[in-house]
Amino acid sequence: MLRYTWKRLLTGLLALFVLVCVTFFLVRLMPGSPFQRGAVSEQVVEAIEQEYGLDRPLTEQFAVYLGNLLRGDLGVSYEDPGTRVTDIIARTWPVTATLGILVLAAAILVGTALGILMAVSRRKAVREVISAGGMLAAGIPSFAAAILLLLVFSVRLKWFPASGLLSPAHYVLPVTALALYPTAVIARMTGNTLAAEMEKEYVLFARAKGLGTGRIIFTHALKNAWRPVLNYVGPASAYLLTGSFVVESIFTIPGMGREFVGSITNRDYTLIMGLTVFMGTVVILVNLITDLLGAYLDPASRRAYRRADR
Amino acid sequence: MKKTDRKRNSRMISLVLAVILSGVTVLSGCSYGDSHGAAGEKEITVAINSETGSMDPAGSIALTYLAYSVAALDELLTYDENGEIEYRAAESYEVNEDQTVWTFHLREDALWSDGSQVTSEDFLNTMTRALDPASGSGYANYLFPIENAEEIYNGEADMDTLGVEAPDDHTLVFTLEEPCVYFLDLLRLPVYTPSCAKYADSPESGWDRDPQTSLANGPFCLTEYVPDQYFVLEKNENYWNKDAISLDRITYRFFDDTQSMATAYETGEVDVATSLPSSVMELYEGRDDLYVTDQIATRYIYFNLNVEPLDDVRVREAMNLALDREELCTIVGTDTEPTYNLVAKYMTDRSTGEYFVDGAEQPFEENAERARELLAEAGYPNAEGFPTLTYSYPTLEMDSDTAQVIQQQLKETLNIDIQLNPQELQANYSARHAGDFELCRMNWTADFADPYTYLSMLLSNSTYNCSGIHDEEYDSIVAQSDRETDPAKRSELMHQAEQLAVGEQFYIMPLYAMKSVNLVNPDITGIRQIPATGALDYRMADIGE
Repeated sequence: MLRYTWKRLLTGLLALFVLVCVTFFLVRLMPGSPFQRGAVSEQVVEAIEQEYGLDRPLTEQFAVYLGNLLRGDLGVSYEDPGTRVTDIIARTWPVTATLGILVLAAAILVGTALGILMAVSRRKAVREVISAGGMLAAGIPSFAAAILLLLVFSVRLKWFPASGLLSPAHYVLPVTALALYPTAVIARMTGNTLAAEMEKEYVLFARAKGLGTGRIIFTHALKNAWRPVLNYVGPASAYLLTGSFVVESIFTIPGMGREFVGSITNRDYTLIMGLTVFMGTVVILVNLITDLLGAYLDPASRRAYRRADR
Repeated sequence: MKKTDRKRNSRMISLVLAVILSGVTVLSGCSYGDSHGAAGEKEITVAINSETGSMDPAGSIALTYLAYSVAALDELLTYDENGEIEYRAAESYEVNEDQTVWTFHLREDALWSDGSQVTSEDFLNTMTRALDPASGSGYANYLFPIENAEEIYNGEADMDTLGVEAPDDHTLVFTLEEPCVYFLDLLRLPVYTPSCAKYADSPESGWDRDPQTSLANGPFCLTEYVPDQYFVLEKNENYWNKDAISLDRITYRFFDDTQSMATAYETGEVDVATSLPSSVMELYEGRDDLYVTDQIATRYIYFNLNVEPLDDVRVREAMNLALDREELCTIVGTDTEPTYNLVAKYMTDRSTGEYFVDGAEQPFEENAERARELLAEAGYPNAEGFPTLTYSYPTLEMDSDTAQVIQQQLKETLNIDIQLNPQELQANYSARHAGDFELCRMNWTADFADPYTYLSMLLSNSTYNCSGIHDEEYDSIVAQSDRETDPAKRSELMHQAEQLAVGEQFYIMPLYAMKSVNLVNPDITGIRQIPATGALDYRMADIGE
């Protein structure tokens, strides 16, 4: 297990290095300059670029960047030289992560509940409503859902505020918009696998013993039914933890996704790089953890890893 | 068994529903959007475009500073709506005969928000910092009229040779390279605005967002700054003219897009939302909330003179005459109005008090018939042999609509084919600066209230002249107007220059002037407009309950 973990970590680092290289050169290929704005004269742009060393050969700049990166120095934002890139990450990530965790919690709770209902309900109507609702929720892109929610619950009904994250009420609409899709997926997966589980012999045996449906689901079937869901939740949480670009913009949420979009429009090279490196690290780590967790939970693969260690 | 199952199921459904519902009621019970704060305090919340740039007048400036400085910083002097001088940090000034030495006397009762004196040193502090390229100041070139400023910026001279002196705490003397009749108009620009010498140092220290060190000499001062979300200005109790100020607090909230701003206004989360899409104008038509203002800006197209056949003035004239700008504006939006000038339609000529462009004949008249003749004279009857031209423009909604209308009109009237080349905004800027285009969209918002801000762009040595214009006659007329101290004569010369560039040489293709669509809570009174740029100013605003 240890050796496997080491191997995975090393591949992760390699992936990160490739990511850094590709992003660095792609970003520089974009036309434009971080200091070019509508009204800034060419002479001034050139003087500032020189000051920041942007006139030097690209490979030299890359070497300098890598050197700084190894020392954990992500530099200052070009757009705003008073702020370090690490400060921006420290400021925006907690916002995005809080939102992501809330979305994940909501999606798991509601999704599992609906999945169970779908699997055990004997009323056709209930099953069909959940299934159709799931289809709809999975089909609407989150930004469209966000705008729809905004128009109905903010502008028309005035139940919830439309922008920012100033109070708990501010979280309701963005969390809902982002949670629709994962909830639908989790509900469908849980529903399907649970229904299959319920056909199995051990469930029949449990029933024969006189156990109630609730007991059977929560103590036996759900545990098995949930393994594929876990494989989905891992990557989904990596996605949620790095921020939703569009939904953050629509609700004016001061998170990482919005910062990322802004940094690209402004050609804020250091910030684009810093955020990419950070998000890359998060994605790689979360995937690693899911893998290890999955391996640990599955007795067969756990044994396989143990053998590989020898 | 069946029965109990069903019971269980319905119990589960009601449980889930109960959890969701109770969550909703608890959360919606929380207060929000209450923008009028504690009892008796007058405050407003303003939506502004997302945070960009610093709040340091000598720093890398964008929208955030522009919003902040209007309420928090006093420049030496400015012009009011009627073109009269309004003294702010200065109480008087003198100028020598040939307009090269300008002496300003600072108000002795002017204080920073911490109670310390505003001195001439504070003004010098901004200028000297901006003249170091490391500051990232995009306005540094507006200091270049001052003696040696350009050499200092380019590292060719020492800072102590700068033509600005502070003989005592309350006197500031500028020595210019050559006469500059619009020098007073420049004074509203960030680089001429003071920054407290005690705290304002390097851009890296972050002094500009810390309420302890980011001092104001204007009516409001910074009390809170939350990156990406909002900042709060409160009434500056040390302001020399504080009795004229009614508001206690202004909160500025950052928004990424104008649609979200309009929504936030609709839900009552903000009291003011500016620069909204033109659809808002139709939505709010006839309501008190709608507040439409003039933008001091012109949208036009650059012809690349290095590209055949655009080097032929007849072709440029034909394309200018072929457009139907009235129709264009009807399609693009109710917030646009046709213009036939380079100088912004709504810029005032201070020598007459009228709009500058109304002081002369319209440079040219649209005429489809004449346009076709001109194209034939240039050797392209019915556009035979005329190459397909590419029009580069940013992918903003308004510019995309405009591009399609122009393409259609030129095809119909002249049978010319235009290929559309939408570009991301930054890519469009850099293609324009590099001269890498055939036709390119341009928009210019005035930096200061003088037609020179427009006319200077077409000078042979201007950094904005990216279309290859090189016209000695034009250069010399503009240079002459620059030296002319009699306002009426100067105006005359500037009209001449504009007529030459737009009405005879057709170096550009003017399209339209724009209105700014704003929503303002009808309870707010006293909002003014800055004459130079058209931006809103809340200094003297008041709110009734």
